[in-house]
Amino acid sequence: MRIALLLIAGVVVQLGFLSHISVLGGTPDLLPVLIVCVGLLGGAVIGAVCGFSIGLLVDSALLQTLGVSSLVLLAVGYLAGRYRETFALTSPLVPPALAAALTLFGAFAFGAIQLMLGVEAPISLLILREILVQTLLSFVLAIPMFPAVRWLLRPALVDGTPQRRRRIRGVMRAA
Amino acid sequence: MYRKQVRRRRAVLVLLVIVSLVLLSSHFSESSSGPLHSIQRGVATVLGPFEEGADRALKPARDSIDWFGDTFEARGENEDLQAEVEDLRDRVAEAESAIGENKELRALVNLERQGGIPEGREPVTSRVIGRSPTVWYSTVTIDKGSSSGIDEDDPVITGGGLVGRVTEMTSGTARVTLITDHRSAVSAKVLPNGPSGVITPEVGDPGELLLDFIEEDREVDEGQMVVTAGWRSGNLTSLFPYGIEIGRVTDASLDEQQTYQRVHVRPFVDVREMEIVQVLTEPGDGDRKSQAAAGDTG
Repeated sequence: MRIALLLIAGVVVQLGFLSHISVLGGTPDLLPVLIVCVGLLGGAVIGAVCGFSIGLLVDSALLQTLGVSSLVLLAVGYLAGRYRETFALTSPLVPPALAAALTLFGAFAFGAIQLMLGVEAPISLLILREILVQTLLSFVLAIPMFPAVRWLLRPALVDGTPQRRRRIRGVMRAA
Repeated sequence: MYRKQVRRRRAVLVLLVIVSLVLLSSHFSESSSGPLHSIQRGVATVLGPFEEGADRALKPARDSIDWFGDTFEARGENEDLQAEVEDLRDRVAEAESAIGENKELRALVNLERQGGIPEGREPVTSRVIGRSPTVWYSTVTIDKGSSSGIDEDDPVITGGGLVGRVTEMTSGTARVTLITDHRSAVSAKVLPNGPSGVITPEVGDPGELLLDFIEEDREVDEGQMVVTAGWRSGNLTSLFPYGIEIGRVTDASLDEQQTYQRVHVRPFVDVREMEIVQVLTEPGDGDRKSQAAAGDTG
């Protein structure tokens, strides 16, 4: 339930607020950052399912071609989750760096799908600038977002909390 | 145990990818009245009020952020605007003379025009409540839909000029495909007495449009205004009525005109900044869709 509410809130904030803002010629995209955070906390399966769901929600809300955002965001969520399952988070900069890298990946994947579906107009090189700006903004957004999402979803996900509780109970018994 | 987890993970991934691909191909190939589109419109109807609520609630925060950006940009724009004012003073003098002549001619042929709104169109004012976050889709969602008389292919404008057209509606919201979207193509004419052509966007650059397929042996000069052509051929009419302002020619090199039959146009409307738009609805829209022709796809 918490995850579902978080995803819906993320979509509403993105479409109703962040998409209207222009920073250095680019628009911040909260959704890949959110999915990376969920994937890092919940693993590959949760990341993929949440990415798929949020993509479907966005395509429906904007009346866009169904399946495009789902495909891209499920890959982003899956890759974030696989990173978490394979490597430890050794530095607080890892989530922002991963968010930036997967936003870049997502933007190019989205572009590749659009080209396959058919783009009927010439493409400006400024599109690269917009993608790079979005990547930088994702890095910045992820710095506060990852701790916030971790705090919000702690009861719903398995990252660290049960072990900590067992350690605390053991300490209290010894006392 | 570990292998079971790996198999489960791969199965979920493969299933989700297959479902996404099936949705994509089905949605892409079905008509707008198909089941997937209907479900999509249902979801958009439910989410519409939340988008509108978020847009209104977060507007002060958005305005604050925009203020910082506008302040930094203002200084650089000041010098450009002063030069433009000088140029516009000369044009105003020419335009006033043309207006006088125009009034006389209109009286002669008994034409009526309601300010900036083409004849026979009722404007429906609405707010932009949602915007696509990617550069590949140049669309916005507005807070009025079919219940306000809005229909598919209705032109959308702001005080500055043409914005796009309505491509999908729910009862309370509508999607507007902007003139900067890759699927957009608008029949246009260069004023005064210039050639006709088709306005297409450059994907990724909302500040630049291309006027393509201009007639050969007709030259276009920098600074000329471009408006919708509003053509009619027998029973077929273009989606956009004549005379809606689109932009101004910025780059009209002779080489490009002769080789590619193309010039560059800067749109009057900054589609990234607009918040209020008007949809030009037509009373009795039922048969109008059959009049949409190949020259206007957006």
